[in-house]
Amino acid sequence: MKASIKWLREFVDFSLTPAETADALTMAGLEVENIVPNSRDEDDSILEVNVTPNRPDCLSIRGIARELSAILRLSFKDNIISIQKEEDAGPSIEIKDTNLCPRYASRIIYGVQIKPSPERISKRLESHGIRPANNIVDVTNYVLLEMGHPLHAFDLNKLAGKRIVVKTAGSADKFITLDNEKRTLSKDMLLIWDAEKPIAIAGLMGGLNSEVTSSTVNVLLESAYFKPASIRRTSKAVNISSEASYRFERGADINNVVLALNRAAQLITEIAGGKITKITDNYPVPFSINRISVSLKKINDILGINIEPSDIQEMLTAIGIENKIEGQGVTVVPPGFRQDIQRDIDVIEEIARLYGYSKIPSTLPKTETQPLSQNIRWNLIKKIKDSMRKSGYSEVINYSFLNPSDLDRLKLFKEDTRRELIKIKNPLKKEEEALRTTLIPALLNNVILNISHGEKSLRFFEISSIFLHSGQDLPIESLKMAAIYLKDKKGLMWQDKHDGFYDLKGALENLFFEIRIKNYLFRQDFSLIEPYLHPGKSCVININDRTVGFLGTLHPEVADNFEVAPEINILELDIDKVCSLISPKITYKPLPKYPYIERDIAIIVPENVTVSDAEKTMLDINTDIIESVKLFDIYAGKPIPQGKKSLAFSIRYRAGDRTLTDEEVNQVHSKIIKKLEDSLKAELRS
Amino acid sequence: MMKEILSIKDSAQEEINNTDNLDAVQNIRIKYLGKKGILTNKIKALSAIAKEERREFGRILNETKDYIENLLIRKEALFKAAELDNVLKTQRIDVTVPGCFTPFGHLHPTTKVLDEIIEIFLSMGFRIEEGPEVELDYYNFEALNFPKDHPARDMQDTFYITDDVVLRTHTSSVQIRIMEKHNPPLKVIAPGKVYRCDADVSHTPMFQQLEGFMVDKSISMSDLKGILEVFAHAVFGPKTPVRFRPSFFPFTEPSAEVDIGCVICSGKGCSVCKNTGWIEILGAGMINPRVFEKVGYDPDLYTGFAFGMGIERITMLKYGIDDIRLFFENDKRFLEQF
Ligand SMILES: [Zn+2]
Repeated sequence: MKASIKWLREFVDFSLTPAETADALTMAGLEVENIVPNSRDEDDSILEVNVTPNRPDCLSIRGIARELSAILRLSFKDNIISIQKEEDAGPSIEIKDTNLCPRYASRIIYGVQIKPSPERISKRLESHGIRPANNIVDVTNYVLLEMGHPLHAFDLNKLAGKRIVVKTAGSADKFITLDNEKRTLSKDMLLIWDAEKPIAIAGLMGGLNSEVTSSTVNVLLESAYFKPASIRRTSKAVNISSEASYRFERGADINNVVLALNRAAQLITEIAGGKITKITDNYPVPFSINRISVSLKKINDILGINIEPSDIQEMLTAIGIENKIEGQGVTVVPPGFRQDIQRDIDVIEEIARLYGYSKIPSTLPKTETQPLSQNIRWNLIKKIKDSMRKSGYSEVINYSFLNPSDLDRLKLFKEDTRRELIKIKNPLKKEEEALRTTLIPALLNNVILNISHGEKSLRFFEISSIFLHSGQDLPIESLKMAAIYLKDKKGLMWQDKHDGFYDLKGALENLFFEIRIKNYLFRQDFSLIEPYLHPGKSCVININDRTVGFLGTLHPEVADNFEVAPEINILELDIDKVCSLISPKITYKPLPKYPYIERDIAIIVPENVTVSDAEKTMLDINTDIIESVKLFDIYAGKPIPQGKKSLAFSIRYRAGDRTLTDEEVNQVHSKIIKKLEDSLKAELRS
Repeated sequence: MMKEILSIKDSAQEEINNTDNLDAVQNIRIKYLGKKGILTNKIKALSAIAKEERREFGRILNETKDYIENLLIRKEALFKAAELDNVLKTQRIDVTVPGCFTPFGHLHPTTKVLDEIIEIFLSMGFRIEEGPEVELDYYNFEALNFPKDHPARDMQDTFYITDDVVLRTHTSSVQIRIMEKHNPPLKVIAPGKVYRCDADVSHTPMFQQLEGFMVDKSISMSDLKGILEVFAHAVFGPKTPVRFRPSFFPFTEPSAEVDIGCVICSGKGCSVCKNTGWIEILGAGMINPRVFEKVGYDPDLYTGFAFGMGIERITMLKYGIDDIRLFFENDKRFLEQF
């Protein structure tokens, strides 16, 4: 809401500067967001006031001035409105639906002269963001700004009869509003009718069929009160948001109906001439008065202050709230323009506002000490993020939106559940119309952006929820981690010496150690692998035999689809599953008392034998003296025959209760060799 | 005899001082202390001296011998050290080659700030709770006293999934979920992502909030002020001015907006604070009794406060970031700075 300082001064005589005025209003809850010069009057400034939805009474100059007079404790000078000569009868008004329209008042002005408004009107409209039209329309807008009450003027000669009927649309399904738009109506929308036809959508916009134009002579002026929720529903449905609807849907002041009508009628005769008829005011069931009692103790308890009853009375009186101290409480009757004050807490808020939030002391709550309660999941996520960070990965955060075509680019199968998208009815962009069912496309897009900046090596991770269909109202939100590693092709030898796959795998193994996950393994299983991973260079991650994620190199076709280099490795982890598999207990194992004996073993095996196959084979020997088996070399190439590779392990032997003899170790060691030869067709490398 | 010994000592000392290599030191040792060395000969000659003097000269000769030997050893050590030094210097490495490590990554700046804020509230006895990002209209609006067809809903541009399901517009929805499940006393913070259909320099369709609320038998607005001042001073420094001014949120009453003295201009006035010297950092208030009624708490028995803040906004103020969209572009050059 824009408010001219000069205009405000017509209602309250204050001497504050614009900045001081802004501060006073802001600190009382009417936040002034900007002070700008009045482009139509160099001696004036305009305040841009952010009026919260609970204060429709401040959507006018008069309302803001009334508030200012209360804050500054200055007297309020209201408009003096007097209709001098009333001749003839006003129109007849019939309200069919008094629930949607509790009050409708009208006067007719005969014999107006349509012309541009005088400058004092047109300049004010312009400086408050309304384009002047003609003197009649301008007056309705001027009164809207000044008094906050929307009015409408019809060309009487275009109406059938001097008659207004307020009723819903019924079977009328199309209506052309004065902006020349054909609107589709539904039958419960409230319309204004003449004796025969609809002439306005109530509270939103008049019809083209009854518009005031340069040839208008007689005007029917409407001032009414419409039910806020109904106006809002209609406004959304027909997609009209006007100065009028904005005020009606927040709640106009029903007591203002006649005042605003008279003010407009008076102004019209001043600037357009004409004769005013008597008023017709149809207000069948007057609004009841709301009486509220508030306990004095509650005021002090909730605000944490100690305020005198007389001070409470002074403040309430200043904002026009009738009040009376009765016993241990105060009974109040809010004025009609404060429909937001309905119960005791609303009154307490008014007292707090006028008392000044700055005067409320700062204390700390007196409550019993409670033990610190840990959120285990949150702590784990924190640990995971920190572990990834220490492995060189930077955290990214992407929007939760998904471009559905990215799923094709990922080569997801038609029947993949991640294709069952949760869609947003009103997305900002087509590419953001669904919620993510996978974190991968966003990370690939992060890579693309950074490559365009000249980055060659990237390590990123994100921990965010994906959204999967559940069959219920709310989707399943599953917390995932995805990480991506783009290896620099040239790679500095001391920084990118590992193959990308093993870099990510190492990061994950560090992570598992950090959060105490032990029983994990990496398994190649072509039947389970993600369609967007290179089947030969990817694996499933298992913990306690449950699949918790995937690790692998991007499928070359997918790399093509996203136009990224194929040297990208990806990790995906189901964080919720991982968190459920953690064994946080640490049990101490005594340190060994007896020395170890270490033996190395180098074997040549067919290429498809994995390190894990060899390890398992060795550990499968029936003995308790193998302490550990560690890989220390892998080699293929000359002199190893084609199709084969060499693996070298260090085996550490130790017994818990004695010093091992060479003989004992030799025995087990040769069993190991035999087993390797038998089950893996391994040859001992000499 | 005495004179002779002294002159041997002097000349040996002078020769040692003047040596410039290890071999020369070795030659001096032979010359004086060798089998036929000058001093050795003197010692051999002792037997020819009278018995009563022999003892005295023997002592002096031995002392002299020790003295020279000592000088020789020290000189030798010096040359050996210098020699090793020369060898080691030829083995020099290039210390300017980058260190051998994978550089640490970086946590997202909002994660760092969120962690910091969470620590502050944990230390004051709050506990962390979370709620769904896709939320029922009931939890996001209705139970928080945003009735359907009420203009208060215009305060938040909402993404709809269906008429009854929204992307939560604030973390305040967690208030209802927690209060439905637990009885007071409650002291909870709820961080998480929220969504508004709005995008420009200062708005992104997704951002993060931290909600906090406390419910007990005698919680007052002065407690709210106290807690939030502790928070603001911990995050922005103990001298940061904090002010509370009236505002409106459907689920709190009285409601407040909390400003801090502008961190850019220290209150003098700049474009960031629109020359007011103040910057809004969060919204707060006493929980509206209507909300308590929705979750079945007796509003005559319990009071409470709630507050909510935008993590990106606080991060922007803390680090002087001027475009909120940077948080979600994930430009390495941006992320690396934190
Ligand atoms: Zn500033």
